[in-house]
Parts: sequence; C-alpha cells; structure tokens
Amino acid sequence: MSNQSSGIFNWVNDRLPIKNTYERHLSKHPVPKKVNFWYLFGALALVVLIIQIVSGIWLMFGYENTEEGAFASVEYIMRDVDYGWVVRYMHTTGASMFFAVVYLHMFRGLMYGSYHKPRELVWIFGMTIYLVMMAEGFLGYVLPYGQMSYWGAQVIISLFGAIPFIGESLELWVRGDYYISGATISRFFALHVVALPLILIALVFMHLVALHEVGAGNPEGVDIEKYVDEDGVPLDSVPFFPYKILNALVAIGIFGIVFSIIMFFFPEGGGYMLELANFEEANPLSTPDHIAPVWYYSPYYAMLRAIPDKLGGLIVMGAAIAILFVVPWLDRSKAASIRYKGNLSKIAMVIFVLSWLMLAWLGTMPVTALRTTLSQIGTVFYFLFFLLMPIYTSIEKSKPVPDRL
Amino acid sequence: MKKIVIISILLFSSYGALSAESAPCGDYGECEKFSPQLENLESLQLGAVTFLNNCYGCHSLQYSRWNRVAKDLEIPEEIFSSNLVYGQTVKLGNRMTGSMDKATAESWFGIAPPDLTLVTRLHGSDWVYTYLKTFYEDASKPYGVNNMVYPGAAMPNVLAFMQGQQILSCKDIPLLASNGGVKRDELGNDLTEEKCGYLKTISGSGSLTESEFDEVIYNLVNFMTYVGEPSRADRERIGWYVILFFIIFTSFSYLLFREYQKDYH
Repeated sequence: MSNQSSGIFNWVNDRLPIKNTYERHLSKHPVPKKVNFWYLFGALALVVLIIQIVSGIWLMFGYENTEEGAFASVEYIMRDVDYGWVVRYMHTTGASMFFAVVYLHMFRGLMYGSYHKPRELVWIFGMTIYLVMMAEGFLGYVLPYGQMSYWGAQVIISLFGAIPFIGESLELWVRGDYYISGATISRFFALHVVALPLILIALVFMHLVALHEVGAGNPEGVDIEKYVDEDGVPLDSVPFFPYKILNALVAIGIFGIVFSIIMFFFPEGGGYMLELANFEEANPLSTPDHIAPVWYYSPYYAMLRAIPDKLGGLIVMGAAIAILFVVPWLDRSKAASIRYKGNLSKIAMVIFVLSWLMLAWLGTMPVTALRTTLSQIGTVFYFLFFLLMPIYTSIEKSKPVPDRL
Repeated sequence: MKKIVIISILLFSSYGALSAESAPCGDYGECEKFSPQLENLESLQLGAVTFLNNCYGCHSLQYSRWNRVAKDLEIPEEIFSSNLVYGQTVKLGNRMTGSMDKATAESWFGIAPPDLTLVTRLHGSDWVYTYLKTFYEDASKPYGVNNMVYPGAAMPNVLAFMQGQQILSCKDIPLLASNGGVKRDELGNDLTEEKCGYLKTISGSGSLTESEFDEVIYNLVNFMTYVGEPSRADRERIGWYVILFFIIFTSFSYLLFREYQKDYH
C-alpha cells in the first residue's frame, strides 16, 4: 500500500514540484528563531483574505446587483437565507478586521524597518496590496446601496471630477452614468468580486514569493544570513513548518476570539464598521446630515477635508498613500529596528502614531473650525515624519546592531 | 449633478456639524434608554399585536415575512392568520408589504409613511421608544399634534386613545446661582423662573394609565427591535459557543506550540 502510494506520489512529483515547493516554502524555509507578536499579523491578514473570499462567494449567491434589488437582497440574505446573517456579518466584520491587521502589519514594518535592504520589493508589493484593498473596500461598501453607500460614493466619485482637463469625463466614465445608478452598481460589483480580488491574490502571491526569496526580518534588525551552518542554514533560524506555523495557529485562535466577539455581539461596531445610516435604502433626494467614512479610511478622509480646495485635498490624500511606497529610500539609518535607532527616530515615530490616531478620530467626526485646524496640524505631522526621515535618520546616532539573535 | 455634490460637501462641512451634534432625541434631549428583551416572547407577541392593529395600516415591514414572525414569536399559524393577518389574499410566506397604496398615501400625507422594518437599526431603539412617547397637542399642525423627538413629523398620534391628551406645559424651576445653590431674594424665598416645554399628560383622558402605556410602547419597540434583526437572539446565543470553540482551539494550539518550542529554546 505504502509502496503504491509513494509510487503515485513519485509519478506526480516528477511532473509537479510538490516536494521541492514543500521543502522550499515550509519544511526547510528558515525563519528567525526569535520574533515577537508583531510578526503574526501577516499570517492573520492571509486568514482574513480567505474569510473574505469564502464569505464573499456565499454572499454572491443571494446578492442582486441592481438599483432596485440591491438593498432588498442584502435584507433577504440577513433574513431569508439560512445563516445568511452569519455570512454577511463575517464579511462586514472581516472588512474591518482586514484593515485592522494590515495597519498593525504595516506599523510593524515601519517600527522594525522591514523595508530595509533587501526587502524593498516586499514592502512595495505590500503597499500595493494596501492600495488595492482600499479600492476593494470602497467598492464593496457601495454594493448594499444604503444611504451611506450612495452618498459616500457620491463624494468619492466626485473627487475624480476635480482632476484638471479630464476630470469630468473621467468621473462620468467611472460612474457609468450621469448619476449613481444601476450602471454604477453593476460595474462596482464586477470590480469588487472579480477584478480586484484577482489582482489582490496575485499581489499577495508576489508579496510572499519575494518575502521567501529574501527571508523574514526580526525585531532586532539582525541579518541572520551572516552566520550559517555547513548546509547554508542560518544558525538563528528554525524551519517554518512545523515550528513557526504553530505561532500562527495560536495567533489565529486569539484572533478568532476577538473576531467572534465583534461579529456576534457588536456587528455594527458602534456605527464605525456598519454605519447606521446605511440601514436606509439609498435616496438621491435626501442627503444624510453627516457623511463619514468607515473607520479605516478616516485618517485619509480627515486629510481630504483638511484642505479647503478639492483638488488640493485629493492630491494630499493621494500623496499620503504614495509616500509610503518610497519609505525604503527615505530611511537612511544603519539600524533597521527602532530598538537600535536614535532618539530622533523614536520621537518622530511617537508623533506620527499620535497624529495618525488623531486624524482617524477627526475623520469620523463632523467638521468644526477647531477640528479642521487639528486635521491640518495632523496632516503636517504625518508628512513631516516621512519628509524629514532622510534627515533625522542620517544625523542621529544609532546603537550598534548585535550580530546574533 | 454638480449641485448635489456641492450641497453634499456643504452639508458635511457646516450643516452636518449642527445637526449631527445636536441632541440625539431632538427637542427632548437625550433619548430614554431602551434595553430590548428578545427572549421575552410575551412582550414580543403583545408588541406584534399593537403593531399590526395600529401601525400596519400605514407602515409596512416589507423585508419581513408573515410566517417568520409567527414562527419566531411562537404564535400558531392558524391563530396568527385568523387574528393578525388582514386581507384574504395574503399568503403567510409573503412579505409584509403593508396595506396602503404608496401613491395614495403620498397624496394623503404629503409623504408616504416609511417602511419600518429597519427603523430601530437606523435610528436606534432608544430613539423610536422616545419618539412614540413624545407626541403632544399642537393646534398649528395638520393633525393637531407635534413630536418632541422629530419636530414637524407628518404623523398623527395614532396611540393617543391609549395615552390620552399630552400637552406641553410650563413649570416653575428654581434659579441656580453659579455655585450650584438656589438663588434667593432678600427675604430668603427661592427665586424661580417659568420654563416651558415639559410634557404633561391629562390624567383620565386616555384608556391606559401612564405605566400601562409605557408598557405597551415597550412591547411595541421590543417587537420592532426584533423585526429589525430577527436573527439577533440567535446571533447572541450562538456567539458564546463560537467563542468557547476558539478558547479551546487557542489552548490546545498553545500547548502544541509550547511543546515544539522546547526543540529550539
């Protein structure tokens, strides 16, 4: 029996690199021996991606991508489909949790310098994933066609109109109609369920392939490739499988607890994850009192509103994301990790985090004069963190990085 | 098109600030707290009776189905259909689409009465509960009533026969000094000021006492909270099991992790 099955295995393996792939990416893939919990959010992001794809497919069974039917079909899923509410809350909670783990994952990268040579491409693929996720999240938010879907889309699509010369035609092209309508819903549906997920999966694949090529980083910023045994395996590493996959398993368990608490007990997330105004069908004749994005866009929405000029706001918002792409070339520090960087980097990091959190809060609040000023201050500090990075990372004195983990 | 966009931007920049931050229950201020009891079938059943007898004439529950309500509230279908389902053509599997023609309703009320399936999710149960209790007589309005939570509401006070006449009254309120104490005149008498805008029910004018009426409204809003999300009770019940599963899962994966960690520590 075992002979026979190994015979079949060999036959397949001669034609498909099963053993090689298993060894290269799992059983012999070296990962740093000592990492902390910050290194688990990447795995969790992959778990949420799978949750979103699976729950998304199930939602499509009941969703109707028409102007007349979209809102009612979501209620149909919530009421008439057996456990449809489970699938839908899984998807809406998943969207928020996707951004939560990705923000923590990105922050880990900034904190421990995960973008340092040779991981620049890993970082760039990661940032592209984040960019696509933002588009994916926005498109998905429009599909239930509630009041906030409609008016949120109205605000965001109108941003295209602010682009000089081509703006108005571009706006019309994106919307597919002179106003948001069934044409908008069906194209957003196609993009949300087919186009962007395909791109997302391809990017995640590239992110992982590039990561496995250069190897994972660690909180010390130590290059573990320096000291290797006679087989070329880094001394401070353990194989990913079975050792480090168990860290991920524990993390998935804890994440599952958090996810379920939100999904089963606070699916609306206090109105920050499912906005209450979206429990009313889209009505082009009645504008909600206060148009606010869901929490994960709010820092950038605060920046958009901080600039009085629409085109200016659009440029600032775009630049806030774009600047993240070039961080590997802004950081001139010899030490990758914040642990060995100088005090200037540490202070800058604290100010950056505080201004990001302040912007996140401001983005969800109605505008007042004071809040606009605060948003402007927050925006300035956000950009200063990056723009001054080449200066403060090169003038400060970093501590020597140890040789071994 | 451009206008709509400009209006929307103006709205969230100026007007939005005023309205979104004014009190959640309008002129009434803070809403009264409402905590639903979705396992309390008696309350839900009584609420359904109140809704179908008094509200359903104008307001639909278009995303909900008759037999789902009967099943969830454990009302036998025969009793349900002979007592609570109006109209011979209604099948129990149908959606509760209301009994009033939308166009006719619009010409009668100026605006078609909104569907109420999701109203407790949209405004919150607290809001609906407070709204239903704060109608008062106002001869300047077409239906002779106004509402404190939603001033200018285009709805008659349907439940007035139970509640009785509710009016806005004035009362003397002690004047407070800046230190928090009551202001007094030279003779030591408390200074008061007449303030208006307090709700007062004229006792004996309705068929129910105040506490009986509160209970009717409680049951009604409890039912509407249920209709807003019929799976909520299930969701909160199942949630505990899922969390329990993940706690066990985490414990075992931690033990496994600890065992394997011995190899390299």
